[in-house]
Amino acid sequence: MAEQRVILNVNGRNYDISIEPEMTLVEVLRDKLDLTGTKISCGEGECGACTVLMDGKPCLSCCTLAIQAQGKSIVTIEGLAEKGQLHPLQKSFIDHGAIQCGYCTPGMILTSKALLDENPNPTPEDVKTALAGNLCRCTGYVKIVDAVMAAADEIKK
Amino acid sequence: MARPLKSFEYFEPSTIDEATRLLSTYQPTVKVIAAGVDLIPRMRSRKIQPQYLVSMMNIPGLTNIENDEESLRFGSMTTLMSLERLLKDDKTYPALYEAIHQLSSTQVKNTATLVGNLCVATPASDMSSALCALGAKLKISGISTERTVPIKDFYLGVGQTVLQPDEIITEVIVPRPSANSGNAFLNLLRVKCDVAKVNVGVSLVLANDRCKEVRIVLGAVAPIIVRAKQAEEKLLKANSFDKKAIEEAAQTAAMEVTPITDLRSTAEYRKEMVKVLVKQALEKAWSRAK
Amino acid sequence: MNEEFSSVGKRITQVDVAAKATGEARYTPDLKLPGMLIGKVLHSPYPHANIKKIDTSKALALPGVEAVITFDDTPKKAYARSYRDSPMNSSGHLQHSDEYILNEKVRYVGDHIAAVAAVDEKTADLALDLIEVEYEILPYYIDPQEAMQPGTVPIHDWAPNNIPIVMDSAPPYLAQGDVEKGFAESDVVVEETFFASKQVGAHLETQACLANVDANGRITCYSPSQLPHLFRRELAKMFRTTVGMINVVTPFVGGSFGIRLSCQNEPICIALALKTRKPVKLVYTMEEDFTELDTRTPDYFTIKMGFKKDGTLHAYHIDTLTWSGGYLGRAQLAGGITLAWGLGHYRCPNTNGKVTIVYTNTTPTGAMRGFGNPEVSWAAEQVIDMGAEKLGMDPVEVRLKNIKKPGEMSNIGLSIESTWEDECLIQGAEAIGWKEKFGKPKQEGKVRRGVGCACMHHCSGAHPLLLEHSGAIIKFNEDGSASLMVNPGSPGTHIWGALAQIAAEELGIYPEDFNIVAGTTDGSLFDLGSHASRSTYVTGGAVRQAARQAKSRLLARAAKTLEVSPDELDIKDRQIFVKSSPERKVSVADICFNGIFNFEGDCETVMGAASFESRWNSPPTAAFFAEVEVDMETYEVKVINFVNAQDCGTAINPMSVEGQCEGGIQQGVGYALTEDYSINRDTGKAETDNFTTYKMPGTLDMPKSTEVIIINKPDPKGPFGAKGVGEPAMVGVAPAIANAVYDAVGVRITDLPITPEKIFAALKMKSR
Repeated sequence: MAEQRVILNVNGRNYDISIEPEMTLVEVLRDKLDLTGTKISCGEGECGACTVLMDGKPCLSCCTLAIQAQGKSIVTIEGLAEKGQLHPLQKSFIDHGAIQCGYCTPGMILTSKALLDENPNPTPEDVKTALAGNLCRCTGYVKIVDAVMAAADEIKK
Repeated sequence: MARPLKSFEYFEPSTIDEATRLLSTYQPTVKVIAAGVDLIPRMRSRKIQPQYLVSMMNIPGLTNIENDEESLRFGSMTTLMSLERLLKDDKTYPALYEAIHQLSSTQVKNTATLVGNLCVATPASDMSSALCALGAKLKISGISTERTVPIKDFYLGVGQTVLQPDEIITEVIVPRPSANSGNAFLNLLRVKCDVAKVNVGVSLVLANDRCKEVRIVLGAVAPIIVRAKQAEEKLLKANSFDKKAIEEAAQTAAMEVTPITDLRSTAEYRKEMVKVLVKQALEKAWSRAK
Repeated sequence: MNEEFSSVGKRITQVDVAAKATGEARYTPDLKLPGMLIGKVLHSPYPHANIKKIDTSKALALPGVEAVITFDDTPKKAYARSYRDSPMNSSGHLQHSDEYILNEKVRYVGDHIAAVAAVDEKTADLALDLIEVEYEILPYYIDPQEAMQPGTVPIHDWAPNNIPIVMDSAPPYLAQGDVEKGFAESDVVVEETFFASKQVGAHLETQACLANVDANGRITCYSPSQLPHLFRRELAKMFRTTVGMINVVTPFVGGSFGIRLSCQNEPICIALALKTRKPVKLVYTMEEDFTELDTRTPDYFTIKMGFKKDGTLHAYHIDTLTWSGGYLGRAQLAGGITLAWGLGHYRCPNTNGKVTIVYTNTTPTGAMRGFGNPEVSWAAEQVIDMGAEKLGMDPVEVRLKNIKKPGEMSNIGLSIESTWEDECLIQGAEAIGWKEKFGKPKQEGKVRRGVGCACMHHCSGAHPLLLEHSGAIIKFNEDGSASLMVNPGSPGTHIWGALAQIAAEELGIYPEDFNIVAGTTDGSLFDLGSHASRSTYVTGGAVRQAARQAKSRLLARAAKTLEVSPDELDIKDRQIFVKSSPERKVSVADICFNGIFNFEGDCETVMGAASFESRWNSPPTAAFFAEVEVDMETYEVKVINFVNAQDCGTAINPMSVEGQCEGGIQQGVGYALTEDYSINRDTGKAETDNFTTYKMPGTLDMPKSTEVIIINKPDPKGPFGAKGVGEPAMVGVAPAIANAVYDAVGVRITDLPITPEKIFAALKMKSR
């Protein structure tokens, strides 16, 4: 189908691009905007590796048409650090051994950010529930939960 | 990579009328898209290949939620998360809350619509069983038409509903349960994020220790959701609503279905679990009715 | 701990994870080269068929398509996915080259028969639909029992009855005593048959390759391969070129788990790049991963153990039927390892076994994490429990009685350098509350609890089966920082950190002083690769050796400055000091600077380079304890507590060891309870081909609590006493859970996974 012009707001910046309606958000992010931090893994919305924040809420970018992301503010993992200053979640994941192969990491961090933005005092159960749609094959999730809890403490300071 | 989607033309109508006309014009190769959480994977795997997509995103009013003494009414673009939040505080519809809450993926709940899930018409839809137990109805619009269909009559088969080519669901109406009533939802899964092996939704109204009204809905054990009519009859006829009556009803419900063996479970286990879950759900609903 | 270490043993963060936290880390699917084409593969929809004709003309005619290749367009050089027929030793006879880059006959649904390179993914995908293939359908066999019947159509012509390999006997060092006599002499004999299932690696990064051929015809292959140097050799043979004409580059890798030991779609990608003379990127979908890549090798086991009444194991026989796929993959090795790791674990005077490998029309199988050990442990660790029950003895006691001690023969036939398997059992039992919880009288009520255990011993590398050769280079910069040049890329196992800690410890500087330069065959000394839990033990050994060399250069130069002899010096905290009067010192940085900017005719870049062969193999050991709760109405199993007690020698980085163990629990719980590969018998197609259908544990499916115990006693041979841990982390998880279920409800599930459906059926059977 013919390309359409869309304006996507990603990491605070407006991108004026031409895309076909059938392009999913993750394809546009990775192939058109060269933001490869968002990963494609299962391609059917089960693993959460493609998670981005859309108006602050975690969303599966492999199951979202890019054309439907217009007018929303999208945040990818690349948009989290500010001028080289890591977000407390990023720092916490690094410090707590919560990253092994790293493929699930962008999705895990963004989903965690949405959780902490809404609930700054989560219990470990809250964290596990929030991350239930993010699969990891390396870590067994233990240190990921530890990292999110530690980041919550850090953010409160 | 995930497989690229095949080309399609994309429309964003701003009224229901426009939407229904588009559906009529482009049938049968047109599909409605809400968030796309279910649609896009099915398109990617080529299970369906629509040439036209009609988005509901720009139609005003479809995310409204109204909750009063009469009913809970929500528009067809209402996300699972907004419903979950509302129902967490309003404890009148625990069956619906439980059906949504147990859906584990935060991402899915944030963007997917409940109505989108209904329209896929899978035998194991948790939402369908819970809503049917609550006696929910669907408001459906076509070109210059409007009708209301109880959810128990909505499904025709796997992937098949009563929706005509030009029709879309605009609203779900869930009648407010009366006093002395209780409802519950249960299911069984392989892991927390999964399609149900078996699910059960029940609601009942008690009067003088007898069962005045009851709905027992079974899912994932037949091509569409099933009302366990004989089990319901037994309960209505029983002299008193008690443990024994519940057990008998549960056993009867299990005999009303012939589930299959598939990659998620076996026929024997599913049948046994109908008995177990109906019993547990009735007990839960009972404790809520008191 | 015997020694005080400055870097080894510390919970440091990994230098390569920051890029993963910001999204900068580029994995193979993220890479782009100018002019790059996208490749896609046509897979067979049939489980067994001859290809009569392939017409690629319509596909080629599609605008944007630059190449379409089939069997005819690729070198007719058969290879083995396990490509170990290079100078490897005794396992060489177990290799058979039975695959082509694109196959001429299809042997499983998913088999690769043609490939396309086009300007974008959409075009490549459309082109696949335009390739017309005429098949001659053949009878197909899903189960090994049916494939091996007389009269079946051979899947490979040279393997009648679809049996490519039979090992009639265990390896000589394990075919000992007289098994029949041993059983006759035993007071208690137990025997049972088990099925260890086809577990999928399910690494989140799907299989990917980017291949480029430069102006000199040199091939660069970006791939997540775990064995780049061996892979390069195999590619050279496949493409009839020389090793020097290929550079294998491993960028960040999104999980491997042994699946990426095999070459998967790389040869196809390279063939497309050679044909088009443009870079080609070929990335599989998750469905392709599930149907095309190696999985864990499933086996049927019949295991028989005979005990004396005091609990001593007296006779032990393992009969393994290995369910290979359409090609051998690594099935033959996985099958062989079940014998060796099974029979070699416990002390027993009469042992023997047999392995039969069978071809079937299903996805090839390989070496998933543990490579035969989790499979045989699934069975053997239940049989030993069965023996304990018949003996009237505690299963932990029976294990303690029969596990081996240092100096006895390991599973691989060498003298055991160190083992603390007893400590693992004792401490693990204590942690789970074994004494209070095991073997309690029959419970009533809706929920039953039980505990179970398992133990194992594994390997650190594969000497003497394989050539355990790794190399490392350390090169100092003028500011005292250094490059550590090794081969393993960043597979996510935290190996870079461990290697930096080892180097830092040896050199007396800090792990953060190292910049890891890794991931290319051009830029690294030969390294066998990342597998068999060898990276810390062997590559670590090479790093320590290279560090020693660099240290001797630092000391030699510093000796001149400080006017002492080198053996009077040592290094600590980046300072080279005189041992007898430490205030006399000079910094590492100053010595390095002086080497580079030297105006006295003594220029030198301080460095060390070492090729290291491990001629030992210290087995890591471990014990696993599970506490489960079984719901007696729904028969669902919940793991309440899990204890993973590891003897991996010195834990170079305890945080990384914990991470391996916690991840091992996830894979083990999935193997035990939820991962169930299902094949449609009518079509031969995998019904479980993505995460909607194939379920691995998420956050809410893990045990409520997990505990990792690190025994942390040094091994005499490993670098600073380290042994392997990557695979041991998961080996005994599943049988511990099975034994706990038995303790809880009195039924033993012998076929993986343990599902509520099976428990329901077993209890129903039992009550009849």
